[in-house]
Amino acid sequence: MTNKVAIIASNGGLFDAYKVFNIATAAAATDQEVAIFFTFEGLNLIHKEANGQLPLPEGKEHFAEGFKKANVPSIPELVTMAQEMDVKFIGCQMTMDVLGMEKEAFVDSIEVGGAVTFLEFAKDADVTLTF
Amino acid sequence: MINTNSVLDAKGLACPMPIVKTKKAMNGLEAGEVLEVQATDKGSTADMKAWAESSGHQYLGTVEEGTTLKHYLRKASGEETEVKKHEKIISNEELLQVMEVNRNTIILDVRESAEYAFNHIPTAKSLPLGELEQRMGELDKKSEIFVICRTGGRSDLAAQKLTAAGFEQVFNVVPGMSQWNGPSQKSVNE
Repeated sequence: MTNKVAIIASNGGLFDAYKVFNIATAAAATDQEVAIFFTFEGLNLIHKEANGQLPLPEGKEHFAEGFKKANVPSIPELVTMAQEMDVKFIGCQMTMDVLGMEKEAFVDSIEVGGAVTFLEFAKDADVTLTF
Repeated sequence: MINTNSVLDAKGLACPMPIVKTKKAMNGLEAGEVLEVQATDKGSTADMKAWAESSGHQYLGTVEEGTTLKHYLRKASGEETEVKKHEKIISNEELLQVMEVNRNTIILDVRESAEYAFNHIPTAKSLPLGELEQRMGELDKKSEIFVICRTGGRSDLAAQKLTAAGFEQVFNVVPGMSQWNGPSQKSVNE
């Protein structure tokens, strides 16, 4: 077992964000080395402004109350926690170019790379997940 | 009341926070110390067990108090890999036979009190390794003493200490509680 978890985040909704960061922080807490590749809408999850107000899926807006009631941490909080636990964030260079986004728009200390950067990390991972 | 070295309040927090906080709290403990995690997330019991298993720590058990779940975890200590030095050794099975013949067999359980609380031999006396030196006086130097822990590592150390202090008939029980099939009981308030 190599203790590596590789995650691709390619969707930008609130549900997607929880799936990504809950798995990532839980894996990091279990001493796994974790990297997340953020591509296309997944980049919203680490966008400084966007990630505090990610949309719930259409028709599921009523879940907002449930999240509050269950005291679920906010996405920016989970991002900070993931970073404290050394989860590696890789922003997709190609998407950033297409959308005209700069590295500065994203949370600190992300790495920017292409698909190969992610593949290099994922090639010997035990668990690879796509959200 | 179970003795612990540290208490983590994770009440009201949702997954994955209890695990993430537990991991952080565990980093601050010394090997062998016990952490109590208080949580209200119902999934936390299964998570704690799985987490302890994959990170090598020891899940001792959970006590329910109203809506609060109190989980007890012991930080890994690497005691399994230590070479055992005490010469007088007895297997779990042999100890069971001794117990059948003599009901007053002295069994000394040197694990942490929280480990003892969740599962111990009914007649065993709890004396955590860390308290052995101060409390040795409670024991009779002439009697046969069977020292037990989880895997035989801590009991090996305890047996050496007792022998060095003049106890004459000290036996280390191997492998110990991790493989115990004889009578056992819990002493946590259910």
